Parts: sequence; structure tokens; C-alpha cells
Amino acid sequence: MVDVQLSDAEKTYIIHGAQDNLREDGRGCEDYRHLEIETSVVSTTSGSAKIRLANTEILVGVKVELGETSPENPDKGRIEFFVDCSANATPEFEGRGGEDLANEISNMLARAYDCPSCLDMRKLCVVEGKKCWIVYVDVLLLECGGSLFDASSIAVKAALYNTSIPRLTVTHDEGHTELELSDDPYDVQRLDVYNSPCIVTLSKIGHSHVVDASQKEEACCLARLMLAVTDKGCVTAMKKEGSGSFDVSSIEDMLETGKKVGQSLNKSLMEVLVSEDRNMKKKYMTGYLR
Amino acid sequence: MPTDTRRITGPESSVSPYSFCKIQEPQPLFNSQDLRKDGRKCDQVRPIFLKTGVVSKAQGSAYLEQDGTKVICAVYGPRAVIKKEEFSMKGQLRCDFKYTTFSCKYRRQYQQDNEEKDYSVQLLEALEPAVLLHKFPKAQVNIYVTVLQNDGSALAASITCSSVALCDAGIEMYDLVTGCSTRLAGDRLLLDPCKHEEYSSKEHSEVNNGSVTVGLMPSLNQISAVTSSGEIQFEHLKKAINKCSEICVQLYPVCQQSLSKSVKENIKENT
Repeated sequence: MVDVQLSDAEKTYIIHGAQDNLREDGRGCEDYRHLEIETSVVSTTSGSAKIRLANTEILVGVKVELGETSPENPDKGRIEFFVDCSANATPEFEGRGGEDLANEISNMLARAYDCPSCLDMRKLCVVEGKKCWIVYVDVLLLECGGSLFDASSIAVKAALYNTSIPRLTVTHDEGHTELELSDDPYDVQRLDVYNSPCIVTLSKIGHSHVVDASQKEEACCLARLMLAVTDKGCVTAMKKEGSGSFDVSSIEDMLETGKKVGQSLNKSLMEVLVSEDRNMKKKYMTGYLR
Repeated sequence: MPTDTRRITGPESSVSPYSFCKIQEPQPLFNSQDLRKDGRKCDQVRPIFLKTGVVSKAQGSAYLEQDGTKVICAVYGPRAVIKKEEFSMKGQLRCDFKYTTFSCKYRRQYQQDNEEKDYSVQLLEALEPAVLLHKFPKAQVNIYVTVLQNDGSALAASITCSSVALCDAGIEMYDLVTGCSTRLAGDRLLLDPCKHEEYSSKEHSEVNNGSVTVGLMPSLNQISAVTSSGEIQFEHLKKAINKCSEICVQLYPVCQQSLSKSVKENIKENT
């Protein structure tokens, strides 16, 4: 990921801090940094969300389009993830520099959502075997400040919650199938993201592990375990990242933490999203930067 | 649009006939006597054939066969890093995982798709902790893994195969890495799943259906790779990781045996 230069003394400071459950910014090992979420930020999308997790800033836009169903899944819609590491975030991403990271994030997201209970793809089918909704989820990294996987998964969940798909009426007429789009812009279908996962990254620092590592902490950590955790406390995807390895018993501890943190993260995220949705009409739109 | 006359003009996209097959009712993965379709018990692993030194031009190579899963791996290097930007005082590993176009039920494309790219990264991260990278500064080692035929557990097989190939190439390592995968079906664990037993989101919607792959360094007892897919509860996940690690330890002598055999043969040839 994005490199930060740290001296040995600084590294030791961070490692010892993590052991004593006190991190350089005053957090405990299982605490997230301050997180701000905003939905409906880009009006040209079907749903969008912006998240700011300390210095990490991510914008997600969801667009839905009508497409052909795939022959393997004639009764299902599709969801596709694209991650764009913009050179705004760091000059290293210029050209094809960010491609590897972008692929990793989009693969992890795709794997996390590739599970029937996370998002019901059957509801996205319009005419079986012919037409379905394809949900394009585009993730744009605007600033990197650590925990990119966690932040993007939270932003994706928020954007999907915010997504409204126009309602279509299907009429069969003399062998022809006609699709009619509702005139009412508020006559929309919403996605049920209640059981969608959030990714929790546990970074192994010294003998302990921390959630939501800052960039400095990422520089001291050799191995990370990523877990996509749902509200019910299930894992939909898991992945080890980094050049280090784990002890067998430490993985169990990390899973324990992941479950606890993931479930509470999902719970508070849903609360925020529901309350924001309720206040949506009252909200006075001012501009993108607030 | 200019067309290439040397090519036969076919339809722009084609679809495998299998996609139009009626979706079969998912059959139970094991019968009343707890035997799987191929007669194995739930915790029984397919027999392994492992041979090193199969590619004569490469520094090291290995071939692994587990019934229908056939993987070949070649290791080249350490050789100089060509690109200036990639200069590093630590040695670098490069992994390339590829399914041959004909290895699966559906034909694959020549270009690496997302799954293959994902596996390349996972393979790299599984092997990196085992290699003494500081022993070859400013240089890189290339590992090419090709799956000739895929009948399930391809990633696990590739992990084992490529670590043996690295060892065969004489790259200094802390330990070998062995891989094992398992399929979770309810509270059952089916070890070393075949292709039809592997998890796919299409067929299985209940909780605790999924697959887990673990890469373990047996003598250090360190897990260097762990990956899962499908919705799994934490207790089951722990159980699966532990079971996979057990099997990885059992695979260790197989790798050692094939390596010592190849060393003995080498000595015999050179004396």
C-alpha cells in the first residue's frame, strides 16, 4: 500500500503501544477512528455515498442499468465492482500504478457480496432469461489514510442502501414483452442491504492486533487478516494479506475480535443510514464539501 | 471496421452449451454411510503425486497431481530486476497463476481474469513469509503456476506445488508451505473437495456453506495463507482452519520425500 517512512524508534513505540492497548492517537486496539458518512452526494447516480475515516476519503457511486441476463443465472441480476485509485490520492497511483490495489479491493468486495443472503440478486431480475438490472458499483479513492478495505466496504454498503432502482412494469402482449418505466421518480425499488457485509481488517502488530490501522501502523505490520462480517455474525469472505504469517492460535483471537467489531460496526452503520434516510427530506443541500 | 482476414470470422461471443443445461437439483454431497460421490470419507484427502525437476530449463520445478487436479510449476531466478522503479534491497517474488484455457468445464480466456489475478496475489502472500528474501537483494524470483486440469482445490495444490518448486530451485526458505482446502456443508467438513463439491454461490444459499483454503508452514506452525468464501459462522470457520492445518501437517512428509528423492537422484547422476 502507500508507503510511509518510519524510523525503528517510531516503530517500536507503535508496537509497544499496541501491546498495552494504547495507540499513538489515543485509541484502544479495537476502536475505529472517527467516521463520517453521507449519502446522496452525487445526483447523477442511482445511489451514492461518501465516507471519511480520519484521512481516508472514499466516494462510491452506484449506477443501475438494464442488461441481458447471463445464461448461467437466468433468474438473477448482477453486481459489478470497479475501484479507481485516483492519482489525487497519491502520485504513486498515476497511470497504472494503482491497478493492483484496485484489483485487490474489487476482488475482495466481489467475493464478500457473492453470497445469496448478502444481497438478493433474484429481485434484480426483470424478465427471466432476458432482462435484468446490472448494478455497477464504482469506488473512487480520493485520499488514502489507511484502512482502505474497511472504508470502501462501508461506503459500498451505504451507497447500496441509498440506491433506488426505477420500478418497471412488464406486460406480455402477443408474444412481445414490453417494459414500462414509471413516470413517478419516487416510485422506486430499494435494495435490502441489511445483511450485507462490512470488511474488518485486523493488522498484526507485534503480539497484538489492531482494527482500523492508520498508515503509520500499517507500516509496522507484516500481516493482516481481512474478514467480511455480516450483521448476523457470519463471515462471507476472508483473506490474509501482507508478507508475514500468523500463529495458529492468534488467528482464533483475531476471529473473535473480528466478530465483535464487525457486528457492532454493522449495527451502528445501519442506525446511521436509517436515520439519515429519514431526515433526507429535511436536509438542506449545500455543496459537495461540507 | 477493418477485419483480420486470416482469422475465421465467428460470432463475437460464444456460450458454452453447458450454460443451457437444466439446473440440476443439488445432490447430497455424501450418502447415508458418510461416503462422498467418489467413495471417499469426509475427512479423506485424495492421493497425491508429487515430482520435482519436470522442467529442465527452469531452476526449479514441480508437478502435483491429485486425481483430476493437475498443477505444474516452474521457478526462474533469482535474476536481476530489470525495471528501475522496482529496485529494492530485499529480494522480490513474482507469482503468476494461470488456468489453461481448457482446464475447466467452461473455456477460459488467455488473458488472466480476476480469479486468476486474485489467486496470483494469494499465492505470493502464501509463499513470501517462507522465503529468505534478504538473501537475494536487488533480484527477483519468478514463479509460474499453470493448472493443467482443474478438479477442485486448485489453489491449495498450487501452494504446495510452488513451495516444493521453490525448494527445488535452491531458494533458501524457512520452511515449506503446504496447502489444504475444505468445503463446509452445514456442520460437515469435506476435505480436499472435487470440482462438483466446491462451493459456488449459485447453488447453495444456506448458512455455513462455503470453502476455506489454508496454507501452513508445518515445522514453524505458522499460517501463511488463509482465505474463505461463502457465508460461514465463526465457530465453523475456526474448526475448518484447524482441520485444514492438521491435514497440511500430514502433507509435509510427502513434500519432503519427493524432495529428498530428487536430491538423491541428482547426486547419483553427477557421480
